[in-house]
Amino acid sequence: MSRWIGFKKTVSVRSWLYDFGAGCLNIFQGAGGIALLFQEACVLLTSRRIRWKATLDQMNKIGVMSLPLVFLTAFFTGMVLALQSAYQLRLFSAEQFTSDLISVSLCRELGPVLTSMVVAGRVGASIAAELGTMKVTEQIDALKALATNPVQYLVVPRFIAGLCMLFVLTIYADVIGMFGGYLIAVFKLGMSSHMYIKRGIDALMIKDVVTGLIKAFFFGGIISIVGCYFGFTARGGAEGVGRATTLAVVVSLIMVIASDALFSAIFYFF
Amino acid sequence: MIEIKGIHKWFDGQHVLQGVDLTIRDGETLVIIGRSGCGKSVLLKHIMAILEPDEGDILIDGKSIFSMTAEEQDKCRLQLGMLFQGAALFDSLTVRENVGFSLIEHTKTAEGVIDQKVREKLSLVGLAGIEDLMPASLSGGMKKRVGLARAICNEPKSILYDEPTTGLDPINADVINDLILRMQKQLKVLSIVVTHDMTSAYKVADRIAMLYRGKIIATGTPDEIRNSKDPVVQQFVTGSAHGPITDLLKTETELL
Repeated sequence: MSRWIGFKKTVSVRSWLYDFGAGCLNIFQGAGGIALLFQEACVLLTSRRIRWKATLDQMNKIGVMSLPLVFLTAFFTGMVLALQSAYQLRLFSAEQFTSDLISVSLCRELGPVLTSMVVAGRVGASIAAELGTMKVTEQIDALKALATNPVQYLVVPRFIAGLCMLFVLTIYADVIGMFGGYLIAVFKLGMSSHMYIKRGIDALMIKDVVTGLIKAFFFGGIISIVGCYFGFTARGGAEGVGRATTLAVVVSLIMVIASDALFSAIFYFF
Repeated sequence: MIEIKGIHKWFDGQHVLQGVDLTIRDGETLVIIGRSGCGKSVLLKHIMAILEPDEGDILIDGKSIFSMTAEEQDKCRLQLGMLFQGAALFDSLTVRENVGFSLIEHTKTAEGVIDQKVREKLSLVGLAGIEDLMPASLSGGMKKRVGLARAICNEPKSILYDEPTTGLDPINADVINDLILRMQKQLKVLSIVVTHDMTSAYKVADRIAMLYRGKIIATGTPDEIRNSKDPVVQQFVTGSAHGPITDLLKTETELL
């Protein structure tokens, strides 16, 4: 009998619908919460005094301390890109286009997206864990009790730092990536140094660089706001903080990729 | 004066506060007692407007705290000090920055004056000379006392204590009790103390209120509460494992 009840439970359409509904509600609640936090951060950013000391501190944490990671990622991506594209281009005897391909694909797409992904993993997680711990140890409540708006005190500095630093890190990643490609193209594929640099720069248009940087700017905002949102909604001790951290990384990665697709479409048509 | 009027609060379908009414006069110390998890801390957070009630209102000096603008609310909060259960010190700031937080953030007081005030409040709680330490290097008792120093740094008109003596050794607990009494005598502040430590409750209270199943079931002077005829109050204040509170819990568990 109990097995029958268990079986009924597993195939119950009602419970499937219930789970589906609860999942949808969760998604919409999260999306709404992130949008509201974004709105509040923007309002406070323009209406209240900005805490520059905290902002610079966050810029250091988000930007400067991500430099080694971004360096390695961009450097190896540039090298791989050179090798893989040369391998394909060789079929058409068009190896000289390697440098065009590297510079354009890095500036338009790989620079901002890869940088955002490694920063989402490193910084998004640390923001969510830090704010989540503050939330479960009542420090966020204590801020409110001391007449301080937690969004202004904690989110705005991280938001500004995210916006600015992703922008700067992307420029850095573009340059390092091209340098990685340069090493392979010149020392392995036998291209001349002059040709690599000249072709690489000639192939780039202002639009390529600017669209990449616009993307990076938005990705920085997404990573910091999503991290803060999941930190603020953490509940239930260490386990809750762990869950918040995972969710922050997963959601910011998905949002970065989804908005990348959206931006690419917009830039393609306009 | 703080007036709590018919506060109701639900959490995930659970009716935690079921119409709490209380009035606390200026200069009075009210102790709210009740079992762990009965909603005492939630009630304190409502007074601070950290949580919003689903029904009901709280008036501070005749003004409803929930119908104020954010700025007015913040102004009102500066008149209130709160000691949190786990002290809730900011990990990233030193003890000095923690204690002087509201002065640093909300006033243009000179650094020297803030330093002096911080030192004064820290020596009041018996912790002089630890200004430059980080909260992580303090013991539980020290954290609580630093939390108290932070709550009183701005010289508030009312202080809310969330389980001030829980987790402290008996001597430190009594130090905190003495501090609460001293605050009341010296500064004439209104105090609300949430606790389940009856020794502390009898010592500091002018009036004790018992919160049970989301409602205030009894209020009175410490003597009235001690000699209460209500079996629920009696069981709680004597700390007995047998009585109406545990019987009801048993029946509920059996039903589940």
